[in-house]
Amino acid sequence: MYKAIGIRPCTFVYILLMVLTVFTWYVGVSGYGGLTFALLVLGLSLLKGHLIGDYYMGLKAVSGLWGWVIVIWLLLPGSLIAIAFYSAS
Amino acid sequence: MMKNRNTPPGDLAIWIFIMAELTVFAIFFAVYAFTRANNVELFNESQLTLDRNLALINTLTLITSSYFVVRAVAAIRENNTKHCFNWIIAALFMGLLFLVVKSYEYNHHYSQGINLRTNKFYMFYFSLTFFHFMHVIMGMVILAANAVKTKAGNYTPENHIGLETGASYWHMVDMVWIILFPLIYVMR
Repeated sequence: MYKAIGIRPCTFVYILLMVLTVFTWYVGVSGYGGLTFALLVLGLSLLKGHLIGDYYMGLKAVSGLWGWVIVIWLLLPGSLIAIAFYSAS
Repeated sequence: MMKNRNTPPGDLAIWIFIMAELTVFAIFFAVYAFTRANNVELFNESQLTLDRNLALINTLTLITSSYFVVRAVAAIRENNTKHCFNWIIAALFMGLLFLVVKSYEYNHHYSQGINLRTNKFYMFYFSLTFFHFMHVIMGMVILAANAVKTKAGNYTPENHIGLETGASYWHMVDMVWIILFPLIYVMR
């Protein structure tokens, strides 16, 4: 999509990260709570982390385990946080 | 994008260091979440006292700073040392802004008598955010060194591994906050 509108991939990702961040903030200030919103916000944060790993850290161009290292890290605390919030709901 | 390399950008040693740092933060996050599971009301009530607007400013600040560092690396690859230097300085300014806002938050809490010992939530809040705060300072020191070396003309389109190393660390600092922000300030 970024090629179609003529901007650098990193700039496209930057705009996406900003929009997702403002959405996360909106969920917080609007008082939305509960498991559904907690997991939604967590999922969006993991997506943001993946975008930073791929496009900012440059791991999209890396093959093998190093290319997946950030995804693996995100899934580790992400799944533990999800389990903890699920158990508390 | 083609997968054209087997190792991540920058010195491999920084990636070992990054993985060690991320492991520590992952443990912190998990312990916070499971402690919260046993103290939901306390955590939810205490969370409401935090300033989400300042947290938003700080999150946008770090994301912007990371973007500036991406542009700095792109600039040196395009053989534009001057732009590279300017992007790093802009990133440093955003890092400084993060520290100022976070310090204001800490001062606000302390002036209300809230500290590490107030309750379990604040213990995690202060510990986690201050641990991250120290990483921001460390990242800024590395970026400042990158700026000096850029100004001295030490980086070229063919050899800028030092800049990539500093950039990787800075993005790690950004990514940790990306998880920390919703966990501490939003999820309830």
